[in-house]
Amino acid sequence: MPITINAPSARPNQNPFSDSDSDSESNSPSGGGGPLSDPDGDTSMLPPAANPTTTSSKSPIVTPGEVITSDPQWMRGHGTYLPPHTTSITSSVAGTLTRTNKLLSIRPLRARYTPEVGDLIVGRIVEVQAKRWRVDVGATQLASLPLSAINLPGGILRKRTETDELQIRSFFAEGDLLIAEVQQLFQDGGAVLHTRSLKYGKLRNGVFVAVSGMGGGGGVVRSRRQVWTLEAANGGGLVDVVLGVNGYVWISKHVEMPEAEKGPGAGITNLEESVSATMYSSQNDRIGVETMREIARLRGVVTALVENGLRVDEEMVMKGYHEAVEMSMMAGEGQEDIYLGGERGSQLAAVLTVA
Amino acid sequence: MADRRRINGPPGATIPPIYEDASDKSVVTRQPPRSRPANAIRQTYLKTGVTPSASGSAYLEVEMAGKPGVSGLKLSCTVHGPRSLPRSSLFSPHIILSTHVKFAPFATKQRRGYLRDPTERDLGSHLEAALRGAIIADRWPKSGVDIIVSIIEGDQDRETSRQQGDEAWDMMNTLSGCITVASAALADAGIDCVDTVAGGVAALVRDDADNGKPKIVIDPVPSEHDKIEAACCVAYLPTRDEITNLWFKGDMPDDDMATYMELVQQGIQASKHANRVLVQCIGETVG
Amino acid sequence: MATTQQVLLSPAELAYLHASLSLTPPIRPDGRAPNLFRPLVAETGILPGTNGSARICFADGTEAIVGVKAEVEKTRGADATEGGEDAEEDNNREGRSEWVELTVEIPGLRDDDSGTAFLSAMLQEALLADGGFARKLWINRRYHWKLYLDILLISPPLSYPLPLLSLTTHLALLATRLPRLKSEGDEDPFFDDDWAAAPYLYPRDKKSSKALARPPVTLLVMAVGRNIIFDPAKEELAVADVALAVSVGEAAETDDDKGKGKGRKLRLLSIRTIDPPSRLTPPGVPNASNAAYGAAGATQKQPEARMAEAEVVEGVWRAPRGGAKPLVMAALVQKALERGGVADEVLDALDGVDLG
Repeated sequence: MPITINAPSARPNQNPFSDSDSDSESNSPSGGGGPLSDPDGDTSMLPPAANPTTTSSKSPIVTPGEVITSDPQWMRGHGTYLPPHTTSITSSVAGTLTRTNKLLSIRPLRARYTPEVGDLIVGRIVEVQAKRWRVDVGATQLASLPLSAINLPGGILRKRTETDELQIRSFFAEGDLLIAEVQQLFQDGGAVLHTRSLKYGKLRNGVFVAVSGMGGGGGVVRSRRQVWTLEAANGGGLVDVVLGVNGYVWISKHVEMPEAEKGPGAGITNLEESVSATMYSSQNDRIGVETMREIARLRGVVTALVENGLRVDEEMVMKGYHEAVEMSMMAGEGQEDIYLGGERGSQLAAVLTVA
Repeated sequence: MADRRRINGPPGATIPPIYEDASDKSVVTRQPPRSRPANAIRQTYLKTGVTPSASGSAYLEVEMAGKPGVSGLKLSCTVHGPRSLPRSSLFSPHIILSTHVKFAPFATKQRRGYLRDPTERDLGSHLEAALRGAIIADRWPKSGVDIIVSIIEGDQDRETSRQQGDEAWDMMNTLSGCITVASAALADAGIDCVDTVAGGVAALVRDDADNGKPKIVIDPVPSEHDKIEAACCVAYLPTRDEITNLWFKGDMPDDDMATYMELVQQGIQASKHANRVLVQCIGETVG
Repeated sequence: MATTQQVLLSPAELAYLHASLSLTPPIRPDGRAPNLFRPLVAETGILPGTNGSARICFADGTEAIVGVKAEVEKTRGADATEGGEDAEEDNNREGRSEWVELTVEIPGLRDDDSGTAFLSAMLQEALLADGGFARKLWINRRYHWKLYLDILLISPPLSYPLPLLSLTTHLALLATRLPRLKSEGDEDPFFDDDWAAAPYLYPRDKKSSKALARPPVTLLVMAVGRNIIFDPAKEELAVADVALAVSVGEAAETDDDKGKGKGRKLRLLSIRTIDPPSRLTPPGVPNASNAAYGAAGATQKQPEARMAEAEVVEGVWRAPRGGAKPLVMAALVQKALERGGVADEVLDALDGVDLG
């Protein structure tokens, strides 16, 4: 059936938190107001009858203006503020409470990505200015990538000249995608990026998916491995997956980088020269049909994970991918069947939540 | 959108006189039916370089049907560009095309205002699509070109009452004229194009004289026929054999694909006729 | 213009998408079959203060609401002294296209923006193309219904909104009811207060409660190479060679059509080419003339850049030039109209929506 029209339905994750408010007053073990009144931090400080949400941890949701604690020993972190002339830490966003040692912070339910130093991100160039580029990373501000922070082709020892500034578009132009790392942050929270490594640079031979706007339970989480290569099924060859911490995902055919050990005389400078020949090219290699199909399947897996509120990291994506390959075999259409929207996506998500 | 910069007359207070069709049908002078053959377009006059201050310009006149020597459609087009974009705009790897089509207030039977109304913006969108296919856009990054077409007289028959005319079909003839005149002006301005694009209109008409059998005519004039079932306006590149803009309107059953294809083919023929006029006119300017 | 939404994609992504969509069969970015639509949510009767209303949400989050309101208006130029008998026959009733007013509102754009004007002109001409719609609004020789169709796009235009707006308009018109006329002849009209007695604008068969005639629906079809793709997402439109908006209506079946096989009798109402955003995309630079390709590349850029423009290098994206071949366009139209094909399925699915 080429077109499916559904009647509108209620959103599935509705969980009325009707009980937690009335319990918090009566069940706090000692006085001092608010759900957090245990100074030692040993016992669970949460109201015993609080309803856990389906997606996040056991902590309840706090809303803006809700007092968390008046105890002055706690330090306040993100998502909180101190009203004047008081010592009560009050929440300023709607989210879940987290504490690390003596620091209280609140992670919002849905939030834009906030850059941290050392994050590996995927970004898109939106502006080209005199000696730098402005990159959209899905944060509140555009990040900036200075011309001095990229690898110029020709090796490490190549000097930056005026010609490079005049031909700045030959490196990155508007619309290009790149992998970079956050080098430092401006005081207002804007990020400064760099691509000074062989594994960073312009992206090609693949597709882009944006997984954004889901804090809390879903979305890309910071994990141990953000970039990995997998062997695709059905003869697809090697496929790279990059999960940018900012929620931008890149899936592409694996491009072989020459290993450092190859050849007796290959030094660092020779290596960079040979690699940088294709570093800023926007020419795709020839990609086979099977690889394209598997890349499309992976993209469908990532989208299905997002639509169903599951977190996106290496483990879930790999499990989802293997499930999707099996589902396509069992559905009878074989390897050609890669559609994972709508119902198929919900089926996939259901299998993954159970497993 | 109210026009606050001019002092306009009271809105809506004047109703133009409405001429009734005479109750006795035999007295009504029917327009003479189409005299030219089904595959001939009306005589067209085209000249480029009429506005010296613009980068390129052209002027088009099409004779009125049934009255040889009197012209019905008069269009003037000026092209300004390629010129650089304002500093505040974003980088554009292609030339930015902006088209303006405007009827002069006295051009049609019902007076039009000074601000562009939706019909004119719609014509502008069609014109932009038709020309964008012809211009080699990536030769001119960070530039813009303005194409302004003024319709000095619309293609309407003065004799028929307003009840009988249907403005919708007139728009197609006007659009095809706009495409042709804009193409001439672009060539006059020296903007690189892959090919000359010209517009042509073909219609499926039904006349009582033919016992109501539908037939296809090109360059139709609505007052010459009893009923127009469907019409299409085609912007065509003759050397590449490609269509840059197709606008079809009407009512055609689905199992009649052959008639649809024939209609489009006739539209292409009309466009080829107009293209001959265009090429000849451009050749005269140079030589 | 019509597709002014700038889709920011890199030339490498565009080249990949184009290659992927040119395969046989095409591999779409989300893995759909070429004639598969994305699932959508539809409901009618959401605005009780209107004569008809509908709301549709696409899977990508775009949403549209259409409300239809009707008001009685005096017909201009009506001559009451003529004999009243001929006016009762259907043939002499003439609807005028001014009796239908259609406005489209897209957030972020002015109402006289050319993209909005194009969309409203397209939807309006599809509705009035067969000339029969305005006839339904005739009350008597002195009065008629003036129908106001207000089409609102609720979400910002992420993808080309034409198919969404057209489907929502179709549903709203199917659900529209006009009060039942109680007056007779040419007297001043008065109507039955009972809304439950109000007939539908598109009359329904009493037994099966299916509509006998149907408003038109507009489909967006695009082609890449030899592949014809329906319901394109915005990334797919960005690499299209040609895109058409085809408006299709349904004619009432006559007796000699009944044996002609499955599928409805469709009528082609209007076709417009859509300027694909692929013409606004930045070109890719091939390895050979990329100034950043090795230190030596910078010095020889100029003459090669001109040459490189002329060739089509595999894997490098170039915006399309020229137009589309007439045969390709005709194949697009044919595919959209085939009996039992996509247009049929869409009309069937819309039929199944419950009219609240």
